[in-house]
Amino acid sequence: MNEIEQYLAPRRLDEALQAMANGDATVLCGGTDLAPQTESGARQYTAKLLNIRRIDGLGGIAAETDQVRIGAVTTISEIRCHPALAEIAPVLVEAAEHFASEQIRNAASLGGNLCNASPAGDMIPPLLVLGASVELACWRGGAVQTRLIPLERFFVSPGKTVKLPEELLTAVVFDRPAADFVGKFRKSGPRPALEISTVSLALGARIADGLLSNVRVAMGSVAPTPLRARHVEAALEGKPLDAASIAAAVAATAEDAKPIDDVRASAWYRSHLVRVFLEEVLNDVRGN
Amino acid sequence: MENNLTAAPIVKKTLIGQRVRKPDAPEKATGKTRYINDMVLPQMLIGKVLFAGRAHARIIRIDTSAAEKLPGVYAVLTGKDAAGLKFGFVRDNVALKDQVRCEHDEIAAVAAETEEIARRALLLIEVEYEDLPGVFTPEAGALVGAPLVHQNFPGNKSLSFEFKHGDLAAAEALSDYVVDNVFRPHHVTHCCMGTSCAIADFDHNGKLTIWTQTQYPYNYKMDLAPALGISPGDIRVIQPPVGGAFGSKLDVYPYEPIAALLAKKTGRPVKVIYSREEEFKAAPTRQAAIIHMRTGCTRDGTLTFRSADVLLDNGAYTSWGPTIPVIMMRTTSGHYRVPVVDFKAQAIYTNNPYAGSFRGYGNVQTTYATAQQMDMLADLVDIEPLEFHLKNAQKSGEVTPQKSFLRECVLAECLETAAKASDYSRKRKEYAALRDLPGRYKKGIGLASSIHNAGGAKIHKSDGIGTILKVDDFARVTVITGASEIGQGIDAVITLIVAEELGVPLEHVTIVNNDSDIAPWDVGVHASRTTFIAGNGTRRAARKAKEQILNAAAKMLDEPAGTLELRGGSVVRDNCGTPLIELDRLLRRMHFQAEPELVMVSDYYEPKSEPEGAKHISDHSAAYSHAVHIAEITVDTLTGEIKVDKVTVAQDVGRVINRMGLEGQIEGGIAIGLGYALSENMRIEKGMLTNPCFRDYKLITAPEMPPLDLHFIESNCAEGPYGAKGVSELPTIVIAPAIANALYNATGVRIFNPPMSPEAVARAIDETRQAGGRRESE
Repeated sequence: MNEIEQYLAPRRLDEALQAMANGDATVLCGGTDLAPQTESGARQYTAKLLNIRRIDGLGGIAAETDQVRIGAVTTISEIRCHPALAEIAPVLVEAAEHFASEQIRNAASLGGNLCNASPAGDMIPPLLVLGASVELACWRGGAVQTRLIPLERFFVSPGKTVKLPEELLTAVVFDRPAADFVGKFRKSGPRPALEISTVSLALGARIADGLLSNVRVAMGSVAPTPLRARHVEAALEGKPLDAASIAAAVAATAEDAKPIDDVRASAWYRSHLVRVFLEEVLNDVRGN
Repeated sequence: MENNLTAAPIVKKTLIGQRVRKPDAPEKATGKTRYINDMVLPQMLIGKVLFAGRAHARIIRIDTSAAEKLPGVYAVLTGKDAAGLKFGFVRDNVALKDQVRCEHDEIAAVAAETEEIARRALLLIEVEYEDLPGVFTPEAGALVGAPLVHQNFPGNKSLSFEFKHGDLAAAEALSDYVVDNVFRPHHVTHCCMGTSCAIADFDHNGKLTIWTQTQYPYNYKMDLAPALGISPGDIRVIQPPVGGAFGSKLDVYPYEPIAALLAKKTGRPVKVIYSREEEFKAAPTRQAAIIHMRTGCTRDGTLTFRSADVLLDNGAYTSWGPTIPVIMMRTTSGHYRVPVVDFKAQAIYTNNPYAGSFRGYGNVQTTYATAQQMDMLADLVDIEPLEFHLKNAQKSGEVTPQKSFLRECVLAECLETAAKASDYSRKRKEYAALRDLPGRYKKGIGLASSIHNAGGAKIHKSDGIGTILKVDDFARVTVITGASEIGQGIDAVITLIVAEELGVPLEHVTIVNNDSDIAPWDVGVHASRTTFIAGNGTRRAARKAKEQILNAAAKMLDEPAGTLELRGGSVVRDNCGTPLIELDRLLRRMHFQAEPELVMVSDYYEPKSEPEGAKHISDHSAAYSHAVHIAEITVDTLTGEIKVDKVTVAQDVGRVINRMGLEGQIEGGIAIGLGYALSENMRIEKGMLTNPCFRDYKLITAPEMPPLDLHFIESNCAEGPYGAKGVSELPTIVIAPAIANALYNATGVRIFNPPMSPEAVARAIDETRQAGGRRESE
């Protein structure tokens, strides 16, 4: 049983990164994953608890330029209620709508949802179809250093990412989607509120002259990490959205989704839901 | 006022059937209530329990020396400290175990200065186990040569029950249609928002005071005493406000004697309180069962027989769970007019968690079967289901094969009211016609009903209640009653009845009902009995007080006896309402006159019911009641999600007493029943609970509560207070099969192993489609 010996709540990023430099800090933001995980014993606190909520410049949504930037400590509620995001990336806002409950949305941060690296993380599939990257910062050589990692390469296994212990996720960035971009999100679980996704699915694509291009399909809870469904994407890329391409895409889910049986659902049901959701979102786009 | 002839008459206004707020509602809503979980006593230590965390094992070695040395630790107890102190129905349980029979077996307990120290101490206890093969289903437990859970229970056989009536073979021969299914109702748990908690303290005479959440404080003493090796007379039970019980506190569970054993050892008050995870693992469950049920009827739709062969998963110890056949058989024999009945049930020990009682007590499981079979038979006979139900519905004055006397029976009226309000027959036909047409979303409507005891259940030697009522010099009334308040609202009912009888404001009534050294005996909160039994007790006591008051008033005011009444805080002439004297002035005069008298009365009420008896042939309740639910649902046939759009309820409530409390009981009962039907499920793998948290154990939440259309049918029960019957369990019992029947109407599938989770529904629909159409087997 580890005890917290030091609580830090810096105002400046460089202070926070220096405090993390030894890789021994437990990062706290909304605490909506950290608190239950430490309570259940799944995770232990380290001696140093670092609250990043008050760091200047780590929050906020900048959506005015060609690149959209969402600060790591931005809450899910802020995303859900952001008028510009609703215009530019409704798929992300839609996922925020379905995220846990009002109380948790008010506390949980986007950065936390990504760093928790749950295969069921609700914000991940929509960011994958938006082609997002994450910005990681650390204190090295007496200065703040940053690197940018495509979100798709961020996740390693449940709870594990490529982020080093001394690094802090500072922002999520993605290119402003083209005017002909469409995005859809779907998740399911036995009840409408406070639900961990049984599976989740997001679609992002451009549609010009009835043909799909730049198709991205992302799935959650069908593998150890959220993933891009390459076979499904291939079945759709360059195709018109018709019954044949939809059927081919649905059939291709078997190549991408490799779910397991667990306490929340069987592998059969997850595979079934992926087919249902994919067909549903494709028909949705087709209908519009 | 006396002699003031100009005072305006006080008109008679009844409170019966009005909406009355629960007296404790403002404090609960504003967070002022101090639950037992909040309580801190001077010098109090915190007790923590070391659970086995394995389903079946021998304890090779246990070493507590390091834990004992930890500063701040005052006591460490193990199985040897409770050796021989057996408790439970069949004396198969002990507070601290020397062998492991289920995951949550209590192996050791620590009392320490703080919870943190107690936790650390638990980590320092070394236990070496030798795991043993276990039995995890009743079928496996019943096999010859199966590992024994208790060496002294051969064949793993726990309780068994049997009831037979009529000639089964002849009835089967008469039957044109027979439905035959196996239902497997699952494990769920109560999920009280206040987790299990007890605080124990001994005085220097060896008398134990225990603050606990129990809902049966008097028999509780009898049940707790053997776990401690003390006399029941040396136990005082205090019941602070609780965060729910629902039947889960109708027995002694090990944390209670553990708190007491730690208190005894340390000489200080000790509090044991469960975390949510501990609560999921260690609190009792609803009884899981395997019900093989058959029902027959003739071509014209007359029921011929019902048989049930029930196997119960007893779990590792015997609490109330395996006693549910007492009610299961009443439903098997009494749900509609069943001329021939064959019921048997056997409980088999397993290494699973064990069940207690839970709102609906056996009837939830049985009605899931009987009400679906009624629906199936109606389709087989090809008769309008409403007509089929009405044809077999009992009428007032009928007696069931077990001799339940249905004095006031309004089942037909409940059926007709609910069917009409929901347009049941038309919709059922319409949805069935749409069932096999293309379309992802399907609508369904389903009807279910049930019967339940509504005037207590005399499963103990007595089903009575004691009441003491006093009225002070200021006309403030105190009711000292055995009736426990566990959130169900008996406080509001008692207040309302006193105000009704004595004409005093509701706020002038105080209830004392939480201390076994003060309040008189009551059997406890169970069997939908408290409004019926405590309502009668309160009314009888209030009427005695009223008689004393009015006699004194008549004498003092020189008015003819029998012409006065209490109304609006005054004595009035009954016929015209003219006030004669304020009640408080009268009471002071009575008290301070030459021949002084105080108003303090007592009453013991025992309902007119017969003891259950070993043969189960008895009129065991003072009243019986029916409820009909009609559920309207939309099914997503691809994801399997069921959305409940509306529930129409028609229930025989006898007479509405507190309308707001009644609505609350029906709504709350349906919420519990919906969770049972749709989402709640303890996933137990080889005896280990895999979802001990609200994240993975899904309660029904507010957004999923459907609109309810409530119809209260008043049968005016002769024995009930003002005609009332007990109400609280039927809502939990009837909703699941109503949804199951609606699911069939919508999709043609039935789920025999609840819950009807999205996955179960999607799989059943998918299998049916693979098989090339709707299954006709049901």
